[in-house]
Amino acid sequence: MATIRHSLQKEVFDISEEKLIGILNVTKPGKKKKKISFLCAAINKEKPVCAFIHQIKENDKGSLKKKNTWPVFELQVVDGKDENKETAEFDLTFDRVYKWVASSVPEKNSFIQVLWKICCRYLPKQKPQFINISRELLKEDGDKIEGGDIIAPGLDQADTEDESDFCALSEREQIDLERLILKSDSAVSDAEAFAEQLSKDLTMLDGANIHSMMASESQVKALMEMIDAALLEADKIEKRLNNYDEILLYVKDSIEKMAEKNFFIEQTNANNRQLLETVNQLITQLEFPQEYEKFLTNPAFQINNLTPVIEAAKALETVIDAQIPPHLIHLQLHFQAVKDQKKRFERLRSEFSKHLARNLNNLFIYHGNDPGESLSFHAEKLALPRHSNIHNELMPYAPLMHWMRNLDPKAFQKLRQTYSNSMSKLYERDIKIFFDEAKQPIAGGKRLRGSGSSQDIAGMSGVAGKLTSLSHSRTGVGAALLGIEREQWGGELDASERQKFDQIFEQVLSELEPVCLAEQEFCISFFNLLSSSEPKGANTSTASTPGSNTSEESGSNTPSDSSRRHPLKQVSREVRLMMSELFTNLEQQLTSFVNTFYRADSYCCLYIYVRLSEHVLSAEDTGSFLSITFGSCLIQAKRNYDNFMGLQINSIKECRVTKKKCGIIPFVTNFELFAQTGESVFKKSERRGDLDKWYAMLVSCMIDNIPRVAIEHQRTPPEVVKMENYHVLYQLLSQLKLPGLENQRKEAKQRYQEALNAYVTQYFGRPLEKLNLFFDGVQAKVASGVKESEIGYQLAFSKQELRKVIKEYPGKEVKKGLEQLYKKVEKHLSEEGNLLQVVWRAMQEEFIQQYKNTEDLIHRCYPGAMITLDFSIEDILNYFSDIALSH
Amino acid sequence: MSVGKKTPIQPALHKVIMVGSGGVGKSALTLQFMYDEFVEDYEPTKADSYRKKVVLDGEEVQIDILDTAGQEDYAAIRDNYFRSGEGFLCVFSITDDESFQATQEFREQILRVKNDDHIPFLLVGNKADLADKRRVTFEDAKQRSDQWNVPYVETSAKTRANVDKAFFDLARKISSRKYRSEAQEESSPKKSSCCIIL
Repeated sequence: MATIRHSLQKEVFDISEEKLIGILNVTKPGKKKKKISFLCAAINKEKPVCAFIHQIKENDKGSLKKKNTWPVFELQVVDGKDENKETAEFDLTFDRVYKWVASSVPEKNSFIQVLWKICCRYLPKQKPQFINISRELLKEDGDKIEGGDIIAPGLDQADTEDESDFCALSEREQIDLERLILKSDSAVSDAEAFAEQLSKDLTMLDGANIHSMMASESQVKALMEMIDAALLEADKIEKRLNNYDEILLYVKDSIEKMAEKNFFIEQTNANNRQLLETVNQLITQLEFPQEYEKFLTNPAFQINNLTPVIEAAKALETVIDAQIPPHLIHLQLHFQAVKDQKKRFERLRSEFSKHLARNLNNLFIYHGNDPGESLSFHAEKLALPRHSNIHNELMPYAPLMHWMRNLDPKAFQKLRQTYSNSMSKLYERDIKIFFDEAKQPIAGGKRLRGSGSSQDIAGMSGVAGKLTSLSHSRTGVGAALLGIEREQWGGELDASERQKFDQIFEQVLSELEPVCLAEQEFCISFFNLLSSSEPKGANTSTASTPGSNTSEESGSNTPSDSSRRHPLKQVSREVRLMMSELFTNLEQQLTSFVNTFYRADSYCCLYIYVRLSEHVLSAEDTGSFLSITFGSCLIQAKRNYDNFMGLQINSIKECRVTKKKCGIIPFVTNFELFAQTGESVFKKSERRGDLDKWYAMLVSCMIDNIPRVAIEHQRTPPEVVKMENYHVLYQLLSQLKLPGLENQRKEAKQRYQEALNAYVTQYFGRPLEKLNLFFDGVQAKVASGVKESEIGYQLAFSKQELRKVIKEYPGKEVKKGLEQLYKKVEKHLSEEGNLLQVVWRAMQEEFIQQYKNTEDLIHRCYPGAMITLDFSIEDILNYFSDIALSH
Repeated sequence: MSVGKKTPIQPALHKVIMVGSGGVGKSALTLQFMYDEFVEDYEPTKADSYRKKVVLDGEEVQIDILDTAGQEDYAAIRDNYFRSGEGFLCVFSITDDESFQATQEFREQILRVKNDDHIPFLLVGNKADLADKRRVTFEDAKQRSDQWNVPYVETSAKTRANVDKAFFDLARKISSRKYRSEAQEESSPKKSSCCIIL
């Protein structure tokens, strides 16, 4: 609506110098095609003001044009159609009645309102009739009515513009005027007099006015004076204020100055306090009680009054290690007192350190000569002497040792070296004796041949002598190898001796453990070896970094069995190094021990391997010296073990049988005992897999080497060798039930069957050789296409020829042949093989089979010739029975 | 065989022969005794030999077992190994009367071949675990064994019941018989001179 209003004003009314006040979108009632037009109320901008109502239409070109124009005063009736009902229709009556329909009811209402206002304003006297219109709309003050807003501003604006120039008299003025006129009766009749009267009145009033104005002059004067006085007074006050201001300014300055001064004073105070505090702290930190000094300069190292010395040493350590605040460090160089104090400490330190080092040095050397807790030469149980007494005696010095470590690393290293040296001698001796003793119960003055090179156990008396006196090294003959006859095995230990060895070895290992662990724990806590937990990295030098005073008391002070279960942290390199310095000969001795027994009886390597594995696997601290030593020994043991197995395999490969009758090859016979030993050793070991692996290799090797031996043997037919050996091997494997050898077992069985068949058919000896040859020929002919019935017509296979051949085998001859065969078989087969009956049964079967074949062929190829063999099947069976009864 | 000085004296060797009809469980008994195993599937045996070391009454002995074929076309073939045997386990199945009847023949052949009425011999009724399929009563079997003057034992190769007993009883018989015959020989004046030498 607003845009339309705007464009209407611009396009239509600006041209005719009119002002649009109200607008209504209307159509004619009853027309189908509703032509929209606008009814506009407008006033012209010139005087006198005239209001018009225009009908405006949009022509085809889209421009707006006035269609009809009616002056408002021609408006006679405004008919709202219905007062109560809301309807958009309404009529305007000018020269005739125009009917309109507004676009909406509120618009209609507001337009009527505008009309009403216009009429009120410009046609107060001759208003057109407003009928059928709600009273509300027709109030004079239409502004309050809703919807009136749209139009009202336009109208009001127009009003104010109008009134500046021209205004109709208001009612009051009108009344005043009327009254004035009424007063003067003559007014109407005598205008001149009336005017005169009026001007007279006016002059009178003017005079009165001037008069009153004149009367107020003196009062004004008085007022002026008063004002002047007030001004003066104000000046004075201002001056005074300025004065005060100046004074105040001065005061402010001084106060500021005072505040500044005060601040400085406070800061100085604070600084002083801080300084005092720092100095105090420094002093307390560096304070070292005088009475301690005498403990340090002249220390008494008696074990029972060590406490004050330790206390003093600790105090010194704290003082030396005192953390001087970093900002004071450069100052400290200038403080003579601090310097002096430091010097004093340094002097004390070196002095005490010297004393301590000397003392401990002596102590170590003294203890190095400790015989240990009664070396038990006659003790029944094998035991490694413990040195807990030394540990107990030294333990009180541990704090001093820590002190040394922190404050005098060089001396500490030296001391440690001394300790290592003196104790290592002790341990070396102990271990040597221990191992010698361990060797004794088994050697027991008996053979322990092949005990290693004399360097291994040089310079030993007693048992060792016996050991070394035995043959230096053994040749292949005499070793307990699978490929060698048992009778030729050397003096290896028997089962009970091995058992004993196993026990002793276990004892050796379990004796070593507590001693080593005790020493290790002692070293750790005495030398505080775990304290420097800083990563050593590649720096293997044992120089410890001083100042690490976070000494951590690891482990308990007394190396007891209970504490050794305490899970040790990763034992550092330093500890290991120290331990290897202490137990210099342990690994060597252990390896020598292991090797000695390995040489004495190679089967020992099985026990050693299993035992050592157990100990290594059950070790909790895999990084400790002992574990590592055991570990490297285990590697040696494993090497021995593999070597042992390798030797066994080689012996199988090289095995030769020189006996007249081959029989069972030694490696097959020996495997039973070997496997039994292996089983008993590895029964529950976690190393079982290692054994199974070798079993498989050994058995496979045997299976492969039986044919070699069979071919190499001069007298016994290879089939017999194979048959007998595979049979025994198969039985053995069935009996041992070794896991993972099922395939080898089956193979042995199959090879046995094959060898049996081969022997029975090939080495049968053919008691009826010529007869067999003859019929082989017959069969060949048949196979090449000759009819069976025509065989008899072949020259080589005529009935005469057949008769000739048959004649060569009378029953007697056959029986003789069979007897010879039986003897031959008996000769071939060995007693241990135990296969004579099996073989003979197969041969009997085979012979009967051959007989039947021959009979069958005669029957088919020479039918009706009445030719039969000279002996019947009953004869054969009788021969068999006779052979059976003849032995 | 030459006996080395270190070779232990070979243990006594007893030769046991398993006889009986086919399928009565001779091989099953043997395998159970040898390897503690029971083989379900049946495969007819021709002849198999086994050897086992056992401790019999505190003495280590070696038992050789010849497991034989139940089905043999010609009985005479058996002569040879009957001849080699020192003791016999004559097995039948308690679920099969025919196999029981067959024991008679075996017995006769053994006696003929060995020519010895007192040859160590055990009548063994196998498959005792299959009680519900029993066809041969204990009494019948016992009666026969009494008649032969040999022990009767019922076994089960499956449950291992009496398996060891059968073999050990027989081995014991063989052993005592050997001892007796040795004693007889020693008591003869010819051998007594040997004693003096020893």
